[in-house]
Amino acid sequence: MTTRKRSTSIRLSRMRKRFALKPLALGVASVFLSACGGERQDSVIYTTLDECIEDNPASAAATCRAAYEEALAEATRTGPKFATQPDCEHEFGSNQCRAVETNTGSFFMPFMAGYMVSNLLSPSRYYYQPLYTSYSPYSPFRMRWAMADGTVFDGDIRKRKYRVRSSTYDKKPTVSRTIKRGGFGSSVRAKSSWGSSSRKSGWGG
Amino acid sequence: MLRIPIAERQNWRQRATEFGFHFHTMYGEPYWDESAYYQFTLAQIENDIEDPTAELHQMCLAAAERAVSSESLLKKFQIPEDFWSAIAESWQRRDPSLYSRLDLVYNGSGPAKFLENNADTPTSLYESGFWQWLWLEDNVDSGALPRQADQFNSLQEKLVNRIATIARAQGIEQLYFSCCKDTVEDRGTVQYLQDCATEAGIANRFVYIEDIGLGFDTDNMSVFTDLDDQRIDACFKLYPWEFMQREEFAEAILKCQTHWLEPMWKSVLSNKALLPLLWEMYPNHPNLLPAFFAEDISRGKVSLDSTQRWVHKPIYSREGANIKITEGDNTLLETEGPYGEEGMIVQAYHALPRYADNHTLIGSWLVDDQPAGISVREDASPITQDLSRYIPHIIA
Repeated sequence: MTTRKRSTSIRLSRMRKRFALKPLALGVASVFLSACGGERQDSVIYTTLDECIEDNPASAAATCRAAYEEALAEATRTGPKFATQPDCEHEFGSNQCRAVETNTGSFFMPFMAGYMVSNLLSPSRYYYQPLYTSYSPYSPFRMRWAMADGTVFDGDIRKRKYRVRSSTYDKKPTVSRTIKRGGFGSSVRAKSSWGSSSRKSGWGG
Repeated sequence: MLRIPIAERQNWRQRATEFGFHFHTMYGEPYWDESAYYQFTLAQIENDIEDPTAELHQMCLAAAERAVSSESLLKKFQIPEDFWSAIAESWQRRDPSLYSRLDLVYNGSGPAKFLENNADTPTSLYESGFWQWLWLEDNVDSGALPRQADQFNSLQEKLVNRIATIARAQGIEQLYFSCCKDTVEDRGTVQYLQDCATEAGIANRFVYIEDIGLGFDTDNMSVFTDLDDQRIDACFKLYPWEFMQREEFAEAILKCQTHWLEPMWKSVLSNKALLPLLWEMYPNHPNLLPAFFAEDISRGKVSLDSTQRWVHKPIYSREGANIKITEGDNTLLETEGPYGEEGMIVQAYHALPRYADNHTLIGSWLVDDQPAGISVREDASPITQDLSRYIPHIIA
């Protein structure tokens, strides 16, 4: 057996930062899931409002509805936008996109395929996040859950329960007081002033 | 070692967007160049690059060992006196290091020559560890390169493992990552390390160097803070120690119990003053070039062979700034820059090999003390500067 001199396993889905086809406007996932650190939150994905209502105590029905509607609005606001229907369908599959008219022009956006919620039973503190999936053979999101910014979840769309980080929502109590900022970085400003080019060079080497 | 033209992947710019490689073109010039690749034999990689890299690193550590305990050397290394004991402590504790890049001159045969050690803030990490890896995968998948083609590049695997090991050993729950504002390249490098930390299961956060605050925790201990006033207990900084040691927060570094990556002893290892010390400790080593302190030359302790070319480098210099090449009394080439006030070293000139009109430089990576791969850069000038291009490589 020969030994490979290169990394054997790089999970490409984890390295991906964007959609395969660049949308006109990049999606922006709310901080909900992209936050690093902190405890993880039990979250459930529903594909319809009814699924949410059936899956939860009756007292949560209003929250289900609110979360669903807010996720829909969020999807329109932050979802990936494409110039043409074929571009959008290349990423999400045929009949998976809708035209959206805005005052800056018309776009094609994928339908919200599901929405992730947590803390439903605590109506003042529930979280929601619109999700997409793809039926396109060209897409890294094929049959998987993805957020607006292209982050893909483990497992395929049958997986409905995740534990996700929520530390950015749960702002931790401040444990320090800061007296001063800006005490690092002055060498960069000094060294950047030489030369005539507008080049902003890094400080690595 | 051959330079072989190859067709670019048709969709590579799209791939770059997809994977967040935002600095493939810089200052309007191509930086990533896949119109060609370098091909090495396995013997060239293992015997001429990998093994000497491990050995050179050990030699550098031995030189650092000597420097950290010598006041006269620390003075020659231009390290501020306030930091001498902290550096020695950081060394004696063996504060863990993450990575380094040795710059080597190599043309396919004979010993590679060691130019310098980027042990503190090496960049071109993402292009090396991930992007050129992906280039090879794509070209093998499309049949443009044979399936058995390999690459000397276990960087990503080793970085992920090393970050996990360091976090465990130091009890790091959350690792901060930091670089300067306004540089896409540095932010990209740091983002890559954050991706590696995420793969290692280590929680990570980002703060710009300029945004770091200084304050007190609930026990009234000095702490560095992020923009949310959270304390920074452990931080990877893509920012040189020699800057940090001279800035307003320098004194605070000595008060705060921050775990820094790279550790503080790297300010000795990455220092160009290491080169004359190495030559003194290992004279005529096949991978070393003769090197001397400029102050020893001006004091008449050493005299340079005037028939040979010499490169004058500031002890602190980046991206080929303030370099001068001389022969006897003649200056053959000089680059501009803001460095040099802290002292210079002189190193024997060893021309970079030329391939298709390019001057080619090998960067040889280490993760901790393990050789982990190479990067190949080309420049139109014999001094590699920040406009050099990155070319992928294979082993075949």
